[in-house]
Amino acid sequence: MSGATEYDLVREDTSTLELGAGATVGFAVVLFGFGLAGLFELVAVTESVAGVQLPRLLGGLLTLASAALAWFGVASHRGLVPTDPRPSAGVVAATGAAGVWFVVGGLVGSQTLGFGTVGWLALALLAGAVGFAATALPREDLGTTLPVAALTGLGGLALLTDVIGPDWAWSPVGLRATFAAPIAIPIIVLFCSLLVGWAGAKAYGGFGARGRHLGAYALVYLNVLSILGVLVGLLAFVFTKGAPVVVQGITVGPGAGPETTIRLFGFAHTVVWPVDWPFVMNGVSLYAEVSGVLPAIVGTVWLVVGAVLFAVPLGVGAAVFLAEYAEEGRFTQVVEVATNALWSTPSIVFGLFGYAFLVPRFGGSKSLLSGMLTLGFMLLPLVVITSREAMLAVPDDYRDASAALGVSKWQTIRSVVVPASLPGVITGVILGVGRIAGETAPILLTMAGATEPSAAETADVVGGFALSSSPPFVTNPALLEATSALPYQLYAIISAGVGGDAAFGWGTALVLLVVVLTFYAVGIASRTYFRRKLHE
Amino acid sequence: MSDLRRPPHDGRRSVQRRVAATREFVDETPSTALAAGLVGGLALIGVLVGFLVQSPLTVLALGAFLAAFAYGWLRHQALTARAMTFAMTASTILVLGLITVFIFAEAWPVFEYASGTVFGVQVPGLELFTTTNWSPVSEPIGYSLAPMIHGTVMVTVVATAVAGPLGVAAALFIGEIAPPTVRELVKPGVEILAGIPSIVYGFIGFTILSPWASEAFDLVGQGTYLFVGLVVGLMALPTVVSVAEDAINSVPESMKSGSLALGTTDWQTMTAITLPAASSGVSAAVLLGVGRAIGETMAATVMLRNSPALPEPLYNAFYGYETLTSLIAARYGDAHGLQFNALFAAGVVLFVTVLALSVGSQIIEARMERELGGNQG
Repeated sequence: MSGATEYDLVREDTSTLELGAGATVGFAVVLFGFGLAGLFELVAVTESVAGVQLPRLLGGLLTLASAALAWFGVASHRGLVPTDPRPSAGVVAATGAAGVWFVVGGLVGSQTLGFGTVGWLALALLAGAVGFAATALPREDLGTTLPVAALTGLGGLALLTDVIGPDWAWSPVGLRATFAAPIAIPIIVLFCSLLVGWAGAKAYGGFGARGRHLGAYALVYLNVLSILGVLVGLLAFVFTKGAPVVVQGITVGPGAGPETTIRLFGFAHTVVWPVDWPFVMNGVSLYAEVSGVLPAIVGTVWLVVGAVLFAVPLGVGAAVFLAEYAEEGRFTQVVEVATNALWSTPSIVFGLFGYAFLVPRFGGSKSLLSGMLTLGFMLLPLVVITSREAMLAVPDDYRDASAALGVSKWQTIRSVVVPASLPGVITGVILGVGRIAGETAPILLTMAGATEPSAAETADVVGGFALSSSPPFVTNPALLEATSALPYQLYAIISAGVGGDAAFGWGTALVLLVVVLTFYAVGIASRTYFRRKLHE
Repeated sequence: MSDLRRPPHDGRRSVQRRVAATREFVDETPSTALAAGLVGGLALIGVLVGFLVQSPLTVLALGAFLAAFAYGWLRHQALTARAMTFAMTASTILVLGLITVFIFAEAWPVFEYASGTVFGVQVPGLELFTTTNWSPVSEPIGYSLAPMIHGTVMVTVVATAVAGPLGVAAALFIGEIAPPTVRELVKPGVEILAGIPSIVYGFIGFTILSPWASEAFDLVGQGTYLFVGLVVGLMALPTVVSVAEDAINSVPESMKSGSLALGTTDWQTMTAITLPAASSGVSAAVLLGVGRAIGETMAATVMLRNSPALPEPLYNAFYGYETLTSLIAARYGDAHGLQFNALFAAGVVLFVTVLALSVGSQIIEARMERELGGNQG
């Protein structure tokens, strides 16, 4: 959207306004930080800071924020600060306020005052109605600030007067759960500071259209920040937990690593690795110093290779037909609905299907081949969708230019459309592979083998090929045996109860995360690169 | 999906036209190509049938198909390519069809076993939903899916409450609010969130979140629908964000500029123009997110109690027992007989629900495309 909305030019003399509203927002930010720290147990809410118990301190801050907000609302109503409020705060805000006050009224009625169902319901409805009226009826400045200030003041006073103190606990009847102070206080503080922050941001904008704009933006920015915060937090957490396990005992130097022999139809070639990385080069073993996840890594690699070999030619071919040959009609509609439906089908359903359809046809027991094909079925719709989009994005000029040279349609497709759409196709495949590489549910039912595979149980697909004289002429026992994969190994660790294996689990989780996210990073980077190139 | 409402046409005339077109095609095509196509097509059907009935002769049909294909590729490449791509397209429908058939076929015995009567009419599978007793081993034997459906609903409600509003807000941010550099940072971030495997979420949930929740809320044992729902909501979030962002981006720029030219704020334009215009796409996004949440397996399996029961009272989200997905994942190993069929029945319920959500969201999106007259970005 255009950034042509500069309001500051229009507004002058905003120092009082900025000071008052800015202070409120500042309060909210500080309180929000306290709330988060309390929730994640970085700060124990039962502690004392400078001789004051933390709940009381927070209560005092909440009360102050509430007072600042109320003062600002009244001052704006009296015309002491230059604002631009509308006649009403609007139905959306009023409905929100009604909901909050309904809950507060209900809780106070049923828990604090001990009313029966009729009693607390009546009180809740009354509180909700008052909240709605108090927000909707007065001018926007009062309607925004006063209900929020009242709620925050209520929470603040409850904390300040020890009604909700460090020893407070609430066990709702029949729920078999307890809300104790260490949880309840941060939640109260977080919720109130969120409301104060919204109202404060609205006030900072002087209410009206600009105020609502700022209030909404404050919430949207907070939302996006917390999503990114969760992402970074998750990744950092897995890294710090897993990294010490994964890097255990790495040695570098010529001939330091294990030997690998590659066999194919009788020929053999031996490689000595220059690196010894126990966690990714060992299997699970009681004798080795460091147990590793080699069989699982190899299993995941073969799974991905098999799924790609199955799904990519099939999917790209289907995309060629849909994008180039087929006329828009009933058939393409059906295909589109079917691919989208396949794409959103739950992975466990693919697992069931693989179990019922593939497993009996490949020797009757779980096998690598069944796992490959099941994941291939999952990958197929994504390849079709992304390849088709990539081909439709090839400009018609290309096709026309080729046709003008007298080149046939198939030749145009082969030498113009497919090469031009290749970046898009590859990006889609990489992202799809990232998704299936982390899937557990489908391989659980079709492929999963030993829960603690040793290095000897590593699938040797290349060396397994052999010719035979009876159909099907080429056999490969490695394909027909169950094996492990990274996500399955992690599941196996969990279902064994973790226990002493927690470190091994974190290491496995980290390797899995790195494998999957590498696919994603490469996919996203290549898409960004090719998109930029296209727009140059 | 451009035109769902075609004018009704005369059936017989259309058949005649099609026959004429086919005859023309046969006349114009070299007979060797026709023969190769016929052999290849029959051989392909042979491969399929052979595979379905588990015949060792499948490999011969495969050989015949490959021979016909090789001949066609060398002599009539364009025609062969066209036929092959058509066959590949048909295979996507075939896969969906096979999934449907196999899952229903495996589930059928338990549907028959648990049939109930309504107004004197025998309805197969009715008791899967109307009773609440899941007890495959000890008497009284029962295969009710109701506790699991309740669990799935609980998890989905919490997950949607998380993923819906947060996802739409994040989509607004990426599509409308963020400056370009920030967008280039946030968008891949959300996609990477989608890339974190569900078992990793499950591992964190199992080792950190569940014990914490159990202690913090003084619960009996571990496993709550509330926290499974929160985790699943986080996993469904990227789906909502990316689909909703597509919808928001497909609102023509002219509509937004027109609004801004009237002197509205960006936020007013978003709430008054962009979101209403994109509303069907945004609701499709939420529907797809709901579908993701319903189908999420591993996090639920490792974080729940895996003992089918209804919580007391029904809305008690602090106690989580079993969802449809976790039932399958946790019990496939030692289930046999009717219990195994019951797992497939759970799969059928999942499959049909998510299929309906997917088709529903596609119809909604098609309507939005029609209303906006396509993507004019």
